[in-house]
Amino acid sequence: MIDKIEAAKREFDHDADAVGDERALESFRVKFLSRNGIISKLFDEMKAAPNEEKPALGKALNQFRKGAEEKFTALEEKLQSDGEEDAVDLSLPGEPAFVGGKHILTQTIDSIKDIFKRMGFSVYEGPELESDYHNFEALNFPPDHPARDEQDTYFVNDKFLLRTHTSPVQIRLMQSTKPPVRAIMPGKVYRNEAINARSMNHFYQVEGLHVDTDVTFADLKSALMRFAAEFYGENSRYRFRASFFPFTEPSAEMDISCFLCGGEGCRVCKHTGWLEILGCGMVDPNVLKAVGYDPDVYSGYAFGMGVDRTALMRYAVPDIRVLYENDIRFLRQF
Amino acid sequence: MKISLNWVKQYVDLDGLTMKDVVDALTMSGLEVGDVVDQTARYDKFVVADVVEKGKHPNADRLALCKVNDGAETLDVVCGAPNVEAGQKVAFAQVGSKLPRGGHKITKAKIRGVVSNGMICAEDELDIGDDHSGIIVLDPKLKTGTPLADALGLNDVLLEIETTPNRSDALSHYGVARDLSALFDRKLTKPTIALTEGKTPAKKFAEIAVLDPEHCPRYTATVVRGVEIKDSPDWLKNRLISIGARPINNVVDVTNFVLHEIGQPLHAFDLDRLAGKKIVVRKRKPEEKTFVTLDSQERKLDDEALMICDAERPVAVAGVMGGENSEVTPETTNVLIESAFFNPRSVRPTARKMALSTDSSYRFERGTDPDGTRWAAERAAQLIVETGGGEVAKGAIDVYPKKMKPKRVKFRSAQIKRILGYEIPKKDVVRIFRKLGFEIDDARGNDWTVLVPPFRHDIDREIDLIEEAARIYGYDLITPVERVAVPMISTVDQTAFADEIRAALSGIGFREILCNPLVSEREAELSGKSIPLQNPGTVDMSRLRTSLFAGMLSTIKRNVNVNERSLRLFEIGATFNARKDEIKSFDDFFEERRLAIAMTGDASKKTWRTEKRAYDVFDLKGALGAFSAALRLDNSLRDCYYDSGGRLFDHYFETKRGKTVVGYGGRVKREVAESFDVDQEVFFFELLIDELFAARKTDTRYAAPPRYPKVFKDAAFLLDASVKFEDVRNFIEKESSDLLKAVTLFDLFEGESIGAGKKSAALSFEFYDEGGTLTDDEVEKEFFSIIENVKTRFNAALRGGS
Repeated sequence: MIDKIEAAKREFDHDADAVGDERALESFRVKFLSRNGIISKLFDEMKAAPNEEKPALGKALNQFRKGAEEKFTALEEKLQSDGEEDAVDLSLPGEPAFVGGKHILTQTIDSIKDIFKRMGFSVYEGPELESDYHNFEALNFPPDHPARDEQDTYFVNDKFLLRTHTSPVQIRLMQSTKPPVRAIMPGKVYRNEAINARSMNHFYQVEGLHVDTDVTFADLKSALMRFAAEFYGENSRYRFRASFFPFTEPSAEMDISCFLCGGEGCRVCKHTGWLEILGCGMVDPNVLKAVGYDPDVYSGYAFGMGVDRTALMRYAVPDIRVLYENDIRFLRQF
Repeated sequence: MKISLNWVKQYVDLDGLTMKDVVDALTMSGLEVGDVVDQTARYDKFVVADVVEKGKHPNADRLALCKVNDGAETLDVVCGAPNVEAGQKVAFAQVGSKLPRGGHKITKAKIRGVVSNGMICAEDELDIGDDHSGIIVLDPKLKTGTPLADALGLNDVLLEIETTPNRSDALSHYGVARDLSALFDRKLTKPTIALTEGKTPAKKFAEIAVLDPEHCPRYTATVVRGVEIKDSPDWLKNRLISIGARPINNVVDVTNFVLHEIGQPLHAFDLDRLAGKKIVVRKRKPEEKTFVTLDSQERKLDDEALMICDAERPVAVAGVMGGENSEVTPETTNVLIESAFFNPRSVRPTARKMALSTDSSYRFERGTDPDGTRWAAERAAQLIVETGGGEVAKGAIDVYPKKMKPKRVKFRSAQIKRILGYEIPKKDVVRIFRKLGFEIDDARGNDWTVLVPPFRHDIDREIDLIEEAARIYGYDLITPVERVAVPMISTVDQTAFADEIRAALSGIGFREILCNPLVSEREAELSGKSIPLQNPGTVDMSRLRTSLFAGMLSTIKRNVNVNERSLRLFEIGATFNARKDEIKSFDDFFEERRLAIAMTGDASKKTWRTEKRAYDVFDLKGALGAFSAALRLDNSLRDCYYDSGGRLFDHYFETKRGKTVVGYGGRVKREVAESFDVDQEVFFFELLIDELFAARKTDTRYAAPPRYPKVFKDAAFLLDASVKFEDVRNFIEKESSDLLKAVTLFDLFEGESIGAGKKSAALSFEFYDEGGTLTDDEVEKEFFSIIENVKTRFNAALRGGS
């Protein structure tokens, strides 16, 4: 009998260690301390024991019961206090952390760069305060030609100006490199224009250039259509229409089918079904000559797109000025 | 430029083509059609109607209740016009139509209790005039029910064409027709001149002397005598109205008509007002300072201006605008028509300096047809006689000393494939060239000589001919090639470092901003020697920024205004500083890419578990440290602290690399912030990107992380308040052994409890030995040696340590 009590004690200790929650505690109580529990049953069994053993057994059993009851109370208190110590209202707000980010225009330039870099284009930069030579003359703008009127220019004086496009970077690159040349030039450009919802006096451009021994208009089309498919999605339609830039011949403008109406015609596309996305063309032989490339050996294409307009279209921003107001509530959206 | 499709159809047959065909073809080939106004659509549901009966409106004295027959049925129509009468033919807007002006939709509407089934229109409602005094009464011969567009000739399609600056040949209806004839392979017809000339030669009535043949290579004039100046006939008026020009009188209207027909600007002089009946073409004389143009404006003359003069005085600014002193008036009877070819390089600077752009100057400065002056002068003479009577003098006076020849351009047909990557069939090339007015001397071989008429100022070279062939043939027919491989050339990304900076700063919670590089003089002069613009748009944007400071402060102001007060911002951008007063070369200024960072407002907000704390200069230092670590800068950068920070800063410090200042900044002075309307503390720092680039770590290699435990010891010293932390740390680092890896300050306070002029600085020391686990003895020895050294060197007392 005394062995049985010892075994029950060991079982009790073992089970007590395993109690982890209220439910386990209740089954533990039922198992050992309830009316039909192990301890009650041991008291019942004791009645059948020889009389001479009864005092010792009774003492042992009473001790067991007392200890068990204390243990149970302790376990009960521990479970309760555990609950109290760890009680956390997890719905309370988290501690604020700083969130930074790139400007929406930088993000747009990044996407454009990514695509062209995968197509093997380098990325070059150049000065914003440029010489008339790099911005106009070397790009086949004759002095006093009406083509200069198309680009309202901020002048510092007769020789220096704020670049009106990133094309001077093309000139600088070709002057310092032998063909083949394949690069894009992102950067800020300036136009002396009134500021309103649709026009800004400074904005970003990405231009590109590919010159080699056998680069054709067909290459231009394939490169730009690949770019546009990645940037605007595979489902848009494109068209190339004739245009004029002094530094390319033939020149073209590339249109994308209107995002909004899908080409049916709406206010956004002025009922044409098309949106202009970039200007392009074959590098004019006069430009190649100006940088010392032989136009009978080399040919190439160039293109340029306005980043701001692209971003406005992409994110449906209605007013270009918003891009430069740097309202933190706007910047946080992107 | 507005182009009327009905007018174009006078010169080229467009039968079987839809409006869309025409618009698409023009747009795709380089004459971009911006806006299309289809009048027929505008006048949908407008018809000629009969006023059958005019009765009284039962509820309104001023309104009439008419019975109107619109050809299909007779309707009740309420009309408020005073001139409506039974028996009139009127312009009737049926239910469902939309007024061309204002866009009001006509519905079946009750007017003062009576239903009106449409509306009888006034001129302004139809957008054909401004009269609203009464309804238009139409020609009684018109058939009831005829669509109004047909009855009034309002069935035109008007195209707004955006002509690129190279295409001066297309600045007329005939020019557009020429492109269409090539695009659709249609016949182009130029009106024939059928003049009935008088017996006396024009030379008897006027004399012409061109003293400057370089700027005026050709001057042609015709003379019409005995003209009656009056209103133009409707056909002429309507042509001009359709393209938005205002009819004036028959002579002026004819010159305008011919300009828009063929692109040759004309000017009509009152021959009797020309002194000596003479035209002299010469440069402005020094005493001729101003000139009154025919719009009655007295204008300053450009020094180089080419003038049309009579025997005594200037009568016109060549190619720009005529003078009031010789213009055609209602009393004029004898007219001299000028049809000249002025050199584009002469007209453009004059028009630009006079800030005067006219239909004439616009065409002359882009280049007109030197071979077309005579045709235009005779065409005008013929139309003047047709519209105002009189007699054309015999022959024209034509001063054309050096006849321009067609340009001979070599053309190798194989070059089409080389440039386009696509072959255009030879027969198509030949057809396109001929339709555009080019001649091919021998089209059988592969190398041709193409004769290009002088009106194509944009075509001199083979490449120009390739473009003509391609744009008419169609860019869309060129198949893109898919190249499998791209040539192997090394790739460079000059923007990569700026991208790393953006990533590093974004990672530590800074937002990128982009500001306007054009600022006011005050803003530009805050931090450098600025460069002014010659032609600024506004004074706010008259200079180039010398630093990113002003843009940053303006941005903070804008955000603080909307109560966004806690900001961590950065900008990367170009700055411009002059080295000399006058910029003559790239050496006279420097353009630098800079990085600005700013913090303002709360470093931490009050939350349920955190106390609010405003940013201070140590947050700025901390952010710069984190930035350097994120950007993996090497340890060549040193901070230098100053008591004064010039005009802009207090709590000022610089980051230097050797002697070069890499960055500078601190707390923006209160009065400077206030000058930007910012009422809170701003911490600003500006760095030079090129210097950062030079300081980046290029030899990053693996270093094994520590294998043995680090040991930390703390000690608090009582120091004189004037002792600088940096001096203490530098001293400790210098005096201690390799075992000491780092010293950090974890507590600092001053107060009465430790005595005036004193401060308590608690330092934490980090010990580590690469060779093995440090013993307590080793650490203690090192630690106590440091304590003793500090006590001696700085006259410090140990307040406690562990």
